[in-house]
Amino acid sequence: MNLGERESAEALAGQYVLGTLRGKARARFERLMRSDRRLADAVRGWEERLLPLSEALPPVTPPERVWKGIVARIRGTTTAAGSLSLRGVAWWRGLALSSLALAVVLAVALLKPAPELPEGSLVVVLAGPDAKPALLASTARGSRYLTVAAIAPLTLAADRALELWMLPERGSPHSLGLVSAVAPGGMVRIALPAAAEQALQDIPALAVSLEPKGGSPTGLPTGPVLYSGPVKRLY
Amino acid sequence: MASDPAKQLERNARLLQLLARTALKDQQAFAELYRAASPHLFAVALRILREAAAAEEALQESFVNVWHHAASYVAAKSQPLTWLTSIVRNRCLDQLRRREIDTVTLDDEEEGVTVAAPGPTPQELLLAGADALALKACIEALEPGQRQAIALAFFQGLSHAELARHLREPLGTVKSWVRRGLERLRACLDRAGVTR
Repeated sequence: MNLGERESAEALAGQYVLGTLRGKARARFERLMRSDRRLADAVRGWEERLLPLSEALPPVTPPERVWKGIVARIRGTTTAAGSLSLRGVAWWRGLALSSLALAVVLAVALLKPAPELPEGSLVVVLAGPDAKPALLASTARGSRYLTVAAIAPLTLAADRALELWMLPERGSPHSLGLVSAVAPGGMVRIALPAAAEQALQDIPALAVSLEPKGGSPTGLPTGPVLYSGPVKRLY
Repeated sequence: MASDPAKQLERNARLLQLLARTALKDQQAFAELYRAASPHLFAVALRILREAAAAEEALQESFVNVWHHAASYVAAKSQPLTWLTSIVRNRCLDQLRRREIDTVTLDDEEEGVTVAAPGPTPQELLLAGADALALKACIEALEPGQRQAIALAFFQGLSHAELARHLREPLGTVKSWVRRGLERLRACLDRAGVTR
């Protein structure tokens, strides 16, 4: 790329972010930007330069009907296709990958008396948005149980419960049961609907949501997702 | 919003966390994200669209978008509020584009462009925003015409043609003000090491 091209890419990106690139040119630029990393980077650079300027605007609280409209529009998408989408899981996967090494270490430490992880283990590190692991779920090929151990202390109101969910590749989350009872350093065993390798076959991730005591009344997560993590197959 | 760097950092960390949880379809976090960011974003939309109903629609569409695409936000690449602002601004500029198509026949008869909005003028805003970012010198280094054109385009969403009408200058002149102004701003900011 010569200097002239770089300059014009920069100039177009600047006009795009400023808003003076209009009409068909704007639409065309947006299409190009999707496949041209250089343009996308130039746009990001201009966004960093210009958009913070808008923080000088005196804030205006929008009327309540705007929020109601948003809720009405997203509600359809949360009940039909399952409230925990895979996008969230994909986002998570990258983040949690780094915790895998830690997971193995912790699994070895927690899953006494097993001296080391047997062949065919499945490990899930469930962490909050701060990326701190909170729970560790593990099982092994052939096992009908999932062992869930608390890595960090969980504070939970008396009228609340923590529910563990399988997040399938497609479709709604499927409850595995409550994990509220697990104390730090302790663990609970949760029955799987089939042998681990089958039950978790198309499950890329698990998540824990905050629910009313006794668990979700609807069969789908109703409260916030507190922890989640990708299913790691160690075979 | 916050201009104090420490507060800004804290706010960004908070927004980042809320975005992350929104990506996991956490509705409570999403509601909180809306409460935290919508007054700023609504102000952005109101300025550009100049109509409350249109701004409300743009804000609503933007947040529906955020709900579906929060996971595509890449923390390392931009600040959370910058990302949210870009979504709202793009939505507003799209609306303007549709409006332009609708009113293209009326355009010639239009006498001037009303850019009146309550509160500070675009130029005052540009300098105020720059103040918060310690970019004041770069904004001030722009020629007055460049600064005015950039402020009006950025805050009010004016097109080149609208700028020309509003500033009563030939189209070619305002185009070059915008182009040169942006170039100069970038050179100055890059020298100052504010962005890459």
